[in-house]
Amino acid sequence: MPDIEFNEEDVLTRASQGDRDAFGLLYERYIDRIFNYVYYRTGNLHDAEDLTARVFQRAMNHIQNYTDRGVPFSAWLYRIAHNLVANWHRDRSRRQEIPINDVPVLPSKGDHPEKNLVRSQEQDVLLKFIRRLPGERQNLLILKFVENMSNAEIGAIMGRSEGAVKSLYHRTLLALRDQLGDQSINLDNE
Amino acid sequence: MTRTKTKLSDDQLNALEAHLAGTLKPVTPPVDVVQRLRDRIRFPQTVEIASRLRDWERMFFVFGGVMSGMLVIITVARALYYLVGRK
Repeated sequence: MPDIEFNEEDVLTRASQGDRDAFGLLYERYIDRIFNYVYYRTGNLHDAEDLTARVFQRAMNHIQNYTDRGVPFSAWLYRIAHNLVANWHRDRSRRQEIPINDVPVLPSKGDHPEKNLVRSQEQDVLLKFIRRLPGERQNLLILKFVENMSNAEIGAIMGRSEGAVKSLYHRTLLALRDQLGDQSINLDNE
Repeated sequence: MTRTKTKLSDDQLNALEAHLAGTLKPVTPPVDVVQRLRDRIRFPQTVEIASRLRDWERMFFVFGGVMSGMLVIITVARALYYLVGRK
């Protein structure tokens, strides 16, 4: 996909004045990241597509309300995505339990395509446990590992301090370790 | 509960992080999904935006060229009028 270098501040100004081309540039820049986030939070390709579209529609309708108060535009987008995903979970009468085999395996960036056709059993188990974690802990892991964000960046999105994110991360790892205790994933001999 | 420890050893931490990094990898949204999303929100593609920008550049040069040409014609006409028309 062609990448056009642009000054995000200028593009944001134009987009907030109703310039659809400018918003289109923002869309191209953030579509992959938002899709990744929603995909891992829903575990469902169809809903990920639907919610990603809604994130950008909502952002387009409210971009004039976006003001840069030290919070990057990406954080604002993630917050929209977070709210929509939370509503999506709330709308379901019971917590979604997707049979792990039904979760589509999408090609990972940088890997050979054939390598992605099969997800290892260990990864399936771990993904299953991650989906059982409370929403904010799932957010944290997705932003940290999928998006490679720092604790400070995650804090900006989640509205928490860097220390609080670090503490939450530690508690999340402890919870995962305890859940994985009886599983085939060995944490002690690696 | 077999594990009640509230601390992670360095080995456990590294192993768990390695497993998480291997599981939570960035994925590429399918091309058809990106295209459908673009259609749904009705954004022009990046290439369209880029070509539109190039069109504007071309239009600017064409307009500038026409204006310069007209100035040259008017100047020549005035010179001819001055040299010939006055007699």
